[in-house]
Order: sequence, then structure tokens, then C-alpha cells
Amino acid sequence: MKILLNSDIPIYKQISADFKERIMNGSIPAGEYLPSIRGLAKELKISVITTMKAYEELCSEGLVSAVQGKGYIVNPQDTGMIKEQYMRLLEQHLQDALDCARLAGLTVDETAEILKTLGNIN
Amino acid sequence: MEEVIKLDSLIKKYDRSFSLGPVNIAFPKGFSTALIGANGAGKTTLMDIICGITAKTDGEISYFGTAGDADDGDTKERIGYCASQGMFPAGWKIKDVALSMSLAFEGFDKERFFALLAGMDVPADKYKRKSLSQLSDGMRMRVCLASAFARDTDLLVLDEPGASLDPLMRDRLCERFRDYIDSGNGKKSIIFSTHNIADMENSADYAVIMDNGEVTEQGFTEDLKDKYIIISAEPDRKDELSGLMLTCSCSASMLSGLALCENKEKLMAHGAVTERPTLSQLSVELLKLAEKRRMSKEAQK
Repeated sequence: MKILLNSDIPIYKQISADFKERIMNGSIPAGEYLPSIRGLAKELKISVITTMKAYEELCSEGLVSAVQGKGYIVNPQDTGMIKEQYMRLLEQHLQDALDCARLAGLTVDETAEILKTLGNIN
Repeated sequence: MEEVIKLDSLIKKYDRSFSLGPVNIAFPKGFSTALIGANGAGKTTLMDIICGITAKTDGEISYFGTAGDADDGDTKERIGYCASQGMFPAGWKIKDVALSMSLAFEGFDKERFFALLAGMDVPADKYKRKSLSQLSDGMRMRVCLASAFARDTDLLVLDEPGASLDPLMRDRLCERFRDYIDSGNGKKSIIFSTHNIADMENSADYAVIMDNGEVTEQGFTEDLKDKYIIISAEPDRKDELSGLMLTCSCSASMLSGLALCENKEKLMAHGAVTERPTLSQLSVELLKLAEKRRMSKEAQK
């Protein structure tokens, strides 16, 4: 896992994003337990409460469930549905981007160019 | 959330110049808690009372879920303590520390003590002729820390454990904290005080902010970072912004300070930029806020 301590993105968000990706692409399969919160905190050199917050976020999004006394287990994922959710979110953000572009006097093609450039940078 | 130590209306009266409390704190079990405050805020007194070194004037303390005293039954065995200075007589050598600890505590592991010391670059055979007074502050602190970590405990109470350590050793101390918490699987806890908040930032799960013998804020660090925000703005926005800010300092070039996160949108509408605080930023601003409130209370009198 890659963690930046001084990033604009809070550490717990970096951790939850990493797990989200690995759960979605199947590299952590359903039924498997996430590392223990204290074990992970030790490995990542961060506080226990930060890993807990990351796991709670995964919980609230339905990706994992807390099992009393055993830790956090990965739920079976409806990847189709999750993908659809992200598509909706993407459309929303792109609509915002197009609104900005219009205000700045850019055409759709010019906006698409910017998107491509950004894609290449990342 | 279970607590390892619970302080209920704890009071300590010395004389007219200083009194502590009433203090209510629930130290969470399985986590590491940082006590943060200015010199003289009462952190050491609080830790000494928890460990039974100083007597309380009034109030209740519960240890591991049961009301009682630090000397009761196995409570003494379960708590490891490390003072910021003067823990062992200055004329003692390292072997005297080992002997006294093994006489005082059943759970003290002498071999582990020497192994820990070697791991902290204080090999006992190299220092066997030296008394503690001949060691540097940092070396003495390592001896105290090793004596606490070499015991079989469920709670460590450490007063300024990082103060006299070099940055590398402080990093190793944080590592040792995480090992300890992890090895307890939710049953081992740490309470420590520190002025080096930035260095201990990722070792604190819970924070207790103290000012002048009172607790002014406490909570899990992630919750506190969600509760407050740090603000920066142009100084000409002072009139609109200062009313929404808890602390506010203004120079000719910049306005900055702390606010409640719930006011984020209003603040941004007035041209402020905001960020999620680090524990270090948060502590400084909350201490300023406590000082400000105390001053205005005193002015009213």
C-alpha cells in the first residue's frame, strides 16, 4: 500500500480508497478478512483510530462488514451495481466540468482535449 | 467503547496557586492517548494520581473497569510507569534498576530489559560502571522506558517519553508503541504526555487537551479533525470572518485560525480557504482558545 502522510487526502481516505480498489477488482475476494486494525496501523506506521476510520468508511459503503471479535470481512460485491454507481457519479462530474467549460468559453472538443491530457499525466 | 481508566470528577488541591479538576476522562481501552497541554497544565499530576504516586483530593478512578486504587490486587502489576525525570536514584547503576524492578514487580523480565536497552543503543556492559547521573538525559530516559517495557503490563503511563530523545529514537519509540498496542489485540493501552505533537502525531488515537488544571477538549483524533478546521483568508475579511472563528490571528498579510467544521461553507463564502487540521495544529489552536477563554473569565472577575 502507498501512503503519503502529508497529502491533501486524509490518510484514512487513502487507505479506504486502496482497499476499495482491491475489493472491486477482486484481489481481496469476498469472505476474506481485512488485516486487523492494530496490525495494519503498525505496518503503515499510523494510529489505530485512523485505520479504524478507514474500515468504518468501507463498512458504511457496504463493501465490508464488522464481525464482533473477529474483524472486518469482505462482502460479496455486486460489481455491476457498483460500476453503475460510479458511472452515475462520473456523468455528474463531467456535467460539472462541461458547465465550467461553457463559462470559460471552451468547446466540447477543447474540453475533451484537456481530459485526454489529464488522463495521460495521471 | 470500553475504557481502561475512567476518571470521575477527579480533584487534586495543592494550594491556592494550583488545583486540578474536576476532571472527567474516559481513556479508551486498546488505544493510545496523548495528554497535551502547556507546562503546568496538570498532565504530570494527573498521571501521578492514576499511578498512585500522588494522592487525589476527591473523585473516583476506575482501573480496567473496576473502581479502586492503583495499589489494589494486581492493578499495580498491570500498570507500567515512566516518569519524565528522577524515576530512579541518581547514584544507581543500570544493574540496580534491574534488581529493584525485579523485586518490585513479578512481571519484570530482566533479560528482556537488557535486550531492550541494547536495542536502544544502551548496551548494559558498556555502561556497567556508570551511575545514572553520569548518563545523558536521553540515555536515562531510555533506561526508564526499557524498565517499563520489560514488564508484563496492560497499561503504560509515560510522562514525556519522547522529550529527551533524538528524532531517530523518538521514531523507534513510536514503533514500540504500535508493537505494544498490536500485541495486546485490543487489551493493551498507553497514556502519554507530549509537547512534541508533530513527532507523535501518528501515535495518538485519543487526545486530551488540558489547560490550567482542566480538560478543555478530548476525543478520538480523527473525530476532532472532523470537528474543527483550519482557516486562512485575506486580512480585509476580518469583520465577516472573525465572528465565525474560535481563534483568530491577523497580520497585515494574512488572517488565520480555527473554526468549527460545521461553519465551513459560510467561511468559504466569505473567501476563506480551509484545511483539515493536523493534531499538532489543532492542539496549538485549542490551547490558544483555552487561554483566551480563561483570560476573559478572569477579566470578568
